[in-house]
Amino acid sequence: MSSKQRQFDALVRSLSGDLFRYGYWLCGDEALAHDLVQETFLRAWRALDDLRDTAAAKAWLITILRREHARLYERKTPQFADVDEVDVIDERDAHMPEFAGEENLIRNAIRQLDAKYREPLLLQVLGGFSCDEIARELKITPAAVMTQVFRARQKLKAMLGGDTQQAQIHELP
Amino acid sequence: MNCLEFRRELLIYPQSADADFVRHVRDCARCAEAQQRALAFEASLKSALAVPAPAQLAEAILLKQATEQQRARQRLHRGGALLALAAGVVFAFGIGMSLQAQPLAQVSVDHLEREAFVLSMTKPVPEANIRKAFASLGVHVGDLPAGISFVACCPVGRYSSVHLLMPQANGSVTVLYLTDDQHESRKDFVREGWLGRSVPLAHGTLVLLGHDASQFDQIENQWRTALQSAT
Repeated sequence: MSSKQRQFDALVRSLSGDLFRYGYWLCGDEALAHDLVQETFLRAWRALDDLRDTAAAKAWLITILRREHARLYERKTPQFADVDEVDVIDERDAHMPEFAGEENLIRNAIRQLDAKYREPLLLQVLGGFSCDEIARELKITPAAVMTQVFRARQKLKAMLGGDTQQAQIHELP
Repeated sequence: MNCLEFRRELLIYPQSADADFVRHVRDCARCAEAQQRALAFEASLKSALAVPAPAQLAEAILLKQATEQQRARQRLHRGGALLALAAGVVFAFGIGMSLQAQPLAQVSVDHLEREAFVLSMTKPVPEANIRKAFASLGVHVGDLPAGISFVACCPVGRYSSVHLLMPQANGSVTVLYLTDDQHESRKDFVREGWLGRSVPLAHGTLVLLGHDASQFDQIENQWRTALQSAT
């Protein structure tokens, strides 16, 4: 096996899961996410010689995946399932994670986030990227990234049972 | 750092290791409690985002890559025959195009063949998408040619490019605009059965590829108009 093939195998085995999760939250569809990740790695294979720093592989792959997703979006706009139609949850339970399944509630809330808030949050929480790295990836300023992840968490907390009080200051000197 | 600043930072980066942030946790019991809640929320968030990847995902990708490599090798074998055919065509019709050994021609053809699925696209894409693709690479375009059926920003070898497809009566013409590299002179070439032309234009290079070069002049002029104000 060539060293290039070994390097590629290692990238696929170590990062395909993370890429899939990122792709899933980007497009909202498992089958599409699978295709996106596959195409991302095929492109990565063709351009593997351009990858100078293996430590930057994840960011590089995310960039390719986002580009692939953008192309997909140009051809058709995948729709998230209408949450209200899928999850018939008693309104009382919607604010009580112990009854409704906390993970499902959080997932539904994430789906409802506007993409401009969701994507920086994904890059931070799933990707483990810093605000500066996210800013480079999204081609926005670090300050804008900070504002967007701040608002993303604020909105999630508000959607998940009125925890907005926690987001506010309890007392000011 | 006061409580307000702390709470803002908490919603930006709950695991912050910033010295002021850590000190505030130590000094303010209420904010320390808030951080505990925030970290618990963060753990739930991470868990919710961690949707399971399909079983055998890595194997499926590696299989696909191996299959593609095999196809590429087969294309390489066919390439020799196509090149001979192309050379014959050039000789017979006296088009006068020279075989160029320049890497630009090769990387362009390689890219076209890798994305061969594009060649079947015929439905015009919205003009806004085309402008957006150019703008994403820092290029502003004027009046665009009509009927472009594909657009995407693609790395072509070491170049950044906008990849477009223009269906014509005698077959589609692939257009690559390399935004950040201007080649020295205008050249026609034949490579792997494809007729091509590279033209320094604005701050980049326009590459045209197709099986019929009769539309190249017209297409070149259309892009010259579109890119004359490129920045």
